[in-house]
Amino acid sequence: MNKFAIGCGGVLVILLVIVFVIGLFFWGTYNRLVGLQQGVDAQWAQVQTVYQRRADLIPNLVNTVAGAANFEKSTLTEVTNARASVGRVQLDPSKAPTDAKQLQEFQAAQGQLSNALSRLLVVAENYPQLTATENFRGLQAQLEGTENRISVERNKFNTTVQSYNVAVRSFPTNLIAGMFGFSPRPFFEAQQGAEKAPTVNFPNFGSPAPAASPAATAAATP
Amino acid sequence: MSILRSCVAVAAIVLVAINARAAEVIPPKPAAYFNDYASVVSKTAASRFNEQLAQFERETSNQVVVAIFPKMQSDDDIAAYTYRVAEAWGVGQKDKRNGVVLFVFTQDRKIFIQVGYGLEGAVPDATAFDIYENRIKPRFRNNDYEGGLAEGIDSILKAIRGEYTGTGKTVAERRRSNAPAPSFLFFIIFFIALSIISRLMRKLGGYSYSSRRRGPVFIPIGFGGGGGGGWSSGGGGFSGFSGGGGSFGGGGAGGSW
Repeated sequence: MNKFAIGCGGVLVILLVIVFVIGLFFWGTYNRLVGLQQGVDAQWAQVQTVYQRRADLIPNLVNTVAGAANFEKSTLTEVTNARASVGRVQLDPSKAPTDAKQLQEFQAAQGQLSNALSRLLVVAENYPQLTATENFRGLQAQLEGTENRISVERNKFNTTVQSYNVAVRSFPTNLIAGMFGFSPRPFFEAQQGAEKAPTVNFPNFGSPAPAASPAATAAATP
Repeated sequence: MSILRSCVAVAAIVLVAINARAAEVIPPKPAAYFNDYASVVSKTAASRFNEQLAQFERETSNQVVVAIFPKMQSDDDIAAYTYRVAEAWGVGQKDKRNGVVLFVFTQDRKIFIQVGYGLEGAVPDATAFDIYENRIKPRFRNNDYEGGLAEGIDSILKAIRGEYTGTGKTVAERRRSNAPAPSFLFFIIFFIALSIISRLMRKLGGYSYSSRRRGPVFIPIGFGGGGGGGWSSGGGGFSGFSGGGGSFGGGGAGGSW
């Protein structure tokens, strides 16, 4: 009888230890997943901030450019339209998208805006009076800096999503991730035709412009 | 199975990342504030610039580094490449993220000013562009590297002075004065652990240190770590640079001259 009681007690202790160890594992893993997910959301907020920054620059740019004598209207309307369509696919800035399609739409709209903007700046090279103004050059520098920031923050976002996704998918973390609804997150796709121009390489930084006509280059380079 | 799959995924990502930048070299962390790898300014000017930048960190905690290379070791865009270099060097204090790196590539005739997150307010891109365009470029065009760099450094320092206050010491100096403490502690722990282990061993009877070999033999190892590294504490010498772990977000501007 006594022996049986000791045996029961032993089994109980072993069970308790097992439960305790599993509990510890759950605790640690869950907290790690929460931390990783928050990292993804925080980085998404950064991405949104830099995109917003670009959108905020546009009215000023459009006004400055529109002031130039007989500026080609079609490129301007293109930029304005692209900005409007970017405004239509607003995503929650505090929470990274969970739906790959949503992110793709966002990326496509932003890519369209990137293209419209780079086209506008190339066309602007044909208006030496415009590109010589302090205002336009300041805007150009800001816009280029914003494009650089966008690519930096997007890369950082992809890196954080990558480590989160690896955690969510790998064993044994995936058991807990599945239990508490941590799903893998989509990330930005690097090579996507429309998104090929994230680094708008402004030709007019003192060197001969490859895209502009020779006349414009000669006039734009002081 | 899942582990295997994620391992493969990670390996694939790493491989892709390596492939994408196969031709790129991130230079090692610089030892000074002013690094003239292309030998375009005189030795005296270089040490003057270096001291100016070290003193600036003591006063304001802002880390400003100048790196002059003969050539860009990457096929990527200059903004993207110099961002990665600045980030890898960790210029700026970790909490304030207040670093600025002025990159010059002499053969490419290109300049880029990378501005850390914490100084984007003090040096917006338009200001960085203005410094490049109006301060540096005109002088570089006349082959006046020293004058251009002096102007550029002065205007960067002017723009960011007052943003943060310094501690009177650079990161390199702080690290040096802190260095002996941990290694001394390490030495004590090491010694205690050693005596415990040797006592245990003796009790177990499996193996024993002879009294001759105990302690003193190991002491020089403990001291070796703490004693070194006093190479510039004499004052008036060369001020070494050590990054504080600052980070960058792609701010700044540049171009070619």
